[in-house]
Amino acid sequence: MTHIAFREEDLSLEVDYVVVGSGAGGATAANELARGGATVALIEAGPWRDPEDYPSSTYGAMRDVFDDWGVGIARGRALWPIVQASCVGGTTVINCAICVRTPEDVMLQWERDLGVGNKAWRDALWKHQDKLEVELCAEVVPPAAAGRSSLLAAKGAEAVRYDGHPMTRYVKGCVGSGQCLQGCKQLKKQSLNLQFVPEVMALGGTVLSCAPAERVLLEGRRAVGVSGRFREPVTRRKGGRYTVRARKAVVVAASVTRTAPLLMASGVKHPLLGRGFRAHPGTGVFGVYDHDVDMNVGATQGWASVQYRIEPGMKVETLSIPPEMVASRLAGAGKELVARMGDYRRMAMWVVAVRAEAVGRIKRGLLGEVSVDYSFARPDMERLRKGLALLARTHFAAGAVRVLPGIYGLPYEIGPDQVDLIENGPLDPRSYILISSHLFGGATMDKDPTRGVCDEYGRVHGYEGLVVADASVIPTTLGVNPQHTIMALARSFADRLLDA
Amino acid sequence: MINWLARSAMVTFYPRSEQFPGIDEMPLDEYLARFKRESAPLMWAGFVLGTLFFHLTPLFTVFIPLPAFALSAATRERHAQRLSSHRIYYVRQPVFLLKMIAGLLWGADPAVRSRLGLAPYPADPGTWRRS
Ligand SMILES: Cc1cc2nc3c(=O)[nH]c(=O)nc-3n(C[C@H](O)[C@H](O)[C@H](O)COP(=O)(O)OP(=O)(O)OC[C@H]3O[C@@H](n4cnc5c(N)ncnc54)[C@H](O)[C@@H]3O)c2cc1C
Ligand code: SF4
Repeated sequence: MTHIAFREEDLSLEVDYVVVGSGAGGATAANELARGGATVALIEAGPWRDPEDYPSSTYGAMRDVFDDWGVGIARGRALWPIVQASCVGGTTVINCAICVRTPEDVMLQWERDLGVGNKAWRDALWKHQDKLEVELCAEVVPPAAAGRSSLLAAKGAEAVRYDGHPMTRYVKGCVGSGQCLQGCKQLKKQSLNLQFVPEVMALGGTVLSCAPAERVLLEGRRAVGVSGRFREPVTRRKGGRYTVRARKAVVVAASVTRTAPLLMASGVKHPLLGRGFRAHPGTGVFGVYDHDVDMNVGATQGWASVQYRIEPGMKVETLSIPPEMVASRLAGAGKELVARMGDYRRMAMWVVAVRAEAVGRIKRGLLGEVSVDYSFARPDMERLRKGLALLARTHFAAGAVRVLPGIYGLPYEIGPDQVDLIENGPLDPRSYILISSHLFGGATMDKDPTRGVCDEYGRVHGYEGLVVADASVIPTTLGVNPQHTIMALARSFADRLLDA
Repeated sequence: MINWLARSAMVTFYPRSEQFPGIDEMPLDEYLARFKRESAPLMWAGFVLGTLFFHLTPLFTVFIPLPAFALSAATRERHAQRLSSHRIYYVRQPVFLLKMIAGLLWGADPAVRSRLGLAPYPADPGTWRRS
């Protein structure tokens, strides 16, 4: 069992496979390769935090587990934050562990339009998902942990007549502490720092943490290893250099915003690298009730509806956020703002994630900085308005006395007969505060090397021994939470490597 | 100096009310020192810009040619409200960052949490696995 954290000394290793990034894709790929008998080194930029190290406050989460304090921004007409984690286990440490199978229509579209996959390929992915559900204890949120916000959403959706359901999550016995976004201290959430990464070590693999990879080493068109430098997580002081040689292949799974820039920095040439960035940007609507809701009690996300996934293209969910996040989310300043915070206990927040058509681009600047160009066009703004109006209606149907739309240019609060204000709300993205947490693309799959960076097994076109195994390969939006798809793809890519 | 300016701006956003303590009753200086030390350089830079912006713009909101710190508390609050609901996006944004960073302290304070029926947060350990 070897874990090497920050160190001053240089290090060099040789293994069969090097995997960069220990999130949903990387940890799953490394685990599958190690199970297949290969020697694996898993390299992670962030530190390894165990549940006793997890923060409790949002400040602590931004400092300790978010990637670069969550300052990633999608820049377009508006500046919308991109949230990801940087730690062993990647974003699975701070996500809500919602587990949704890859929709068949999406995979059929990939086959039809991109030549990606066929029936056998799809069946293999679903088989992986069957197994992942067992291994990661996928479980429907137990009623006792649902929380009042989710129960109200179910009631509201029924009254408005659309389908919803308690979520299935990779959580074993959730106690509803509402702290998924800071990491589950109760050890209920099956994040991959607790699951697959320890198994990689138990199977003889090596994990390097606090070790951002700087380059994939290429010899001609063959990837032969990875080099980088340790970085102390608090002071960001640089430590020793490391080189890990890969006898068989390098698997890159550093996340949508980091994988393409890493490949660019390494000299990988493909005109579409960084292109095809897509997302499900989302925002919330607060309902204020005449009784305490205490949204912070219960699963952080407990209820969802996918009824509108295809038309108009959105998903609605409950989400609880703590007072310090609500404090900046509510409009106003001074006494007015503080008085508004008095409603916190009676608030429920529900969010819409838009299955956006917009396509953006991930770029690497001269100093290595990463930026994302991305802007909503009119059809996405219309979807957003529809989603927000649906949520407002659902709140009122569930008994809310007021709704806080959180849209610039609209009143701070509206009543049941004013939902049309949202429906006809501004089409300017700058009037909304959206956050992107479901990201796709940058090194997308396509059978045709002129239309995509990777093939259907994540192999980078034109290179040998170089595989991408994270959300970067996903060529379209899914309309559902992506972790299950990312993990199944990573497993399938790892199996193909082992077969070769 | 920047801490003093930041403090004055943050106090304007989260003053004391009947229900909640004000941010000036919280360990604000220590928080600012910690935030400067710990945050990403870009975040700190945005925060400093937001603070300066807050103090240099009363002429455009409350039409008084003075920095915000020289205004009366009531006028400064009016300035903060107008900035945070300003029709120009690039005026609202720097102020949003300032308000958010102040909100991270104010909303996580044990006294505020207790008024909302919440237990105090345990300390954020900031530790990680070293071997
Ligand atoms: C708040 C939040 C809630 C979410 N909730 C859900 C949910 O409930 N269900 C769901 O399905 N999805 C959810 N998601 C999305 C899901 O977590 C991500 O889509 C998924 O984790 C992405 O997997 P990935 O492997 O592409 O990247 P990540 O999981 O982000 O992992 C990438 C890892 O690579 C590391 N890395 C980056 N650069 C380097 C480098 N140079 N060298 C070494 N390592 C590097 C990063 O530090 C990180 O640990 C959520 C996301 C967020 C932000
Ligand atoms: S709600 Fe609490 S107990 Fe349940 S998975 Fe999230 S952090 Fe763990």
